[in-house]
Amino acid sequence: MNGRTVAVVGGATTKFGVRATTWSELAQEIGAALFRAVPDLRARDVDSLFVGAAMPERLAFQSHVAPLAAEQMGIRPTRVIQRTELACASGQSAIRSAYAAIASGLSDIAVAVGVEKMNLPSMAEANTAMACVMDRAWDGPAGATAPPFFAMVAQRHMLEHRTTEEQMAAVSEKNHRFANSNPNAQFYEKTFPRDKLLRLPVVAPPLRLGDCSSMTDGAAAVVLASEDVVRQFPGPKAWIRGTGQYSDFHNLAHAGSLTEWPGLKRAASEALEMARIGVRDLDFAELHDCFSISEIVEYEALGLCAPGEGGRFVEDGRSDLGGDIVVNPRGGLLGCGHPLGATGIAQAVEVFEQFAGTVPSARQVPNPEWALVHNLSGSANVHSVMVYRRGRAA
Amino acid sequence: MSRERRRTRASVALPVVPETPEVPVPPAAPAPRRKKVVAEAPPPYLLDFFPPETEAGTRLVRFFDRLREGRLSTTRCAKDDLLHWPPRTACPRCHTEELEWVDLPDRGRLYAFSAVLAGAPQGMERDVPFAVGLVDLDGAPLRLFGRVDGRPWNELEIGATVRVESYEVPDGRVFYRFRAIG
Repeated sequence: MNGRTVAVVGGATTKFGVRATTWSELAQEIGAALFRAVPDLRARDVDSLFVGAAMPERLAFQSHVAPLAAEQMGIRPTRVIQRTELACASGQSAIRSAYAAIASGLSDIAVAVGVEKMNLPSMAEANTAMACVMDRAWDGPAGATAPPFFAMVAQRHMLEHRTTEEQMAAVSEKNHRFANSNPNAQFYEKTFPRDKLLRLPVVAPPLRLGDCSSMTDGAAAVVLASEDVVRQFPGPKAWIRGTGQYSDFHNLAHAGSLTEWPGLKRAASEALEMARIGVRDLDFAELHDCFSISEIVEYEALGLCAPGEGGRFVEDGRSDLGGDIVVNPRGGLLGCGHPLGATGIAQAVEVFEQFAGTVPSARQVPNPEWALVHNLSGSANVHSVMVYRRGRAA
Repeated sequence: MSRERRRTRASVALPVVPETPEVPVPPAAPAPRRKKVVAEAPPPYLLDFFPPETEAGTRLVRFFDRLREGRLSTTRCAKDDLLHWPPRTACPRCHTEELEWVDLPDRGRLYAFSAVLAGAPQGMERDVPFAVGLVDLDGAPLRLFGRVDGRPWNELEIGATVRVESYEVPDGRVFYRFRAIG
């Protein structure tokens, strides 16, 4: 890896859910939470701010959100201030941009924050905003949104690999169970046993409500520091050791087989090679379970199991605590909700807290050393991956 | 320090506004009963999913003119022997802007499908439930996404034959969709 090494030295999230609050208020709330969570952080030391926000123009009728977020958070960036937009991966995009700025020497201490306000009085209006993620002029008129697309992935996976609705429910059950140890999760203290999940209404066949992540309001932030200034933060660290990204297509005509995600394979190999580890070295992974079927395809694309074996992998508990690798101990997008710009950053917060050993024991991965974070965006046409290694407190 | 910034730093204690005690709100007069009006007008421009189709807004007018005649067409790069979808103004491989137009087959087979039973965008709520699918065109290396009409979603099957159709949207624009026929 070229350039300076970069560590995540702390982070925070707000409560995720249907929040009676505005975009700006969420930015203030995460600013307050971040400075509480990272007492060694002084606002004047933050030279750069990267703001992950997928669609504030549609959902909050607000552009130019980076300086707005800076003002809400009480930060005056002097080096880089920008918004990163990559739909569902806007948050990870902010972290990768902060990483690149620090590695290059442009920035020393950066904050990556993600804010999304998705619940509007009119859900049809919110759905309209979401539908713009697709190729609006060509796929949009048919009514293309995420649920029917991932439903077709599930349909093909069921046909080609005999994956079952029960196996998809097993993903959702596991992630909701983990979310029950995360008070900031949208579905905290809500239980979803498999039989209940299988009775929920169908949204886009074969996907039921419990197979789909929800429309969520929330924010998350992390602080990143270069190796040269990291001594200002004597606490635990999560060092960025690898990253990879691949953009395969956009129009749904080019989605290929649906059940193989070569873009994820490529992005993950690049990130793992950069970190000089293999997928078996990972202790846990935060994978983009926007739909239950996504997590199943991701096990396979990452090489955690053979192609077609993803359903059995989760059913046999191999992605659970005590299995081969713990997947989505935070509660995933299914359990935490999916405020687009905040999701990738909340995943990084989970990595930091898992390494620091500060999460509740119900989801603590024993003595983790390596973690992978994955986000897909749109119709799984872009994959973004980061690999983190635990750094001990000074 | 600028004057303005100094002014925002209150050096004198400002009076604290006491919490207002909750005053019971008198019940409002009942709203007059109105006939529910369903908006028939299309959503504002750019809240509508259909693309611009005239010379004022696109260089692909030819696609929509042919579609109006019931023909689905697209661009092809003769140099690269590359069929595009959607139709383009520049080839993504060699970047030439000299492209030819070809008609596409009007039949295909369902590769995958689902349906929107909830969560439809604005302007499509009245269509719910509706089926969508990916269709492998017969005799062309293209798999197109579109609305699938002609049969309820739970009676569709992978491999079902569909026909390409054009249809008019309320403001006179046209678009394509599939109709299950076998």
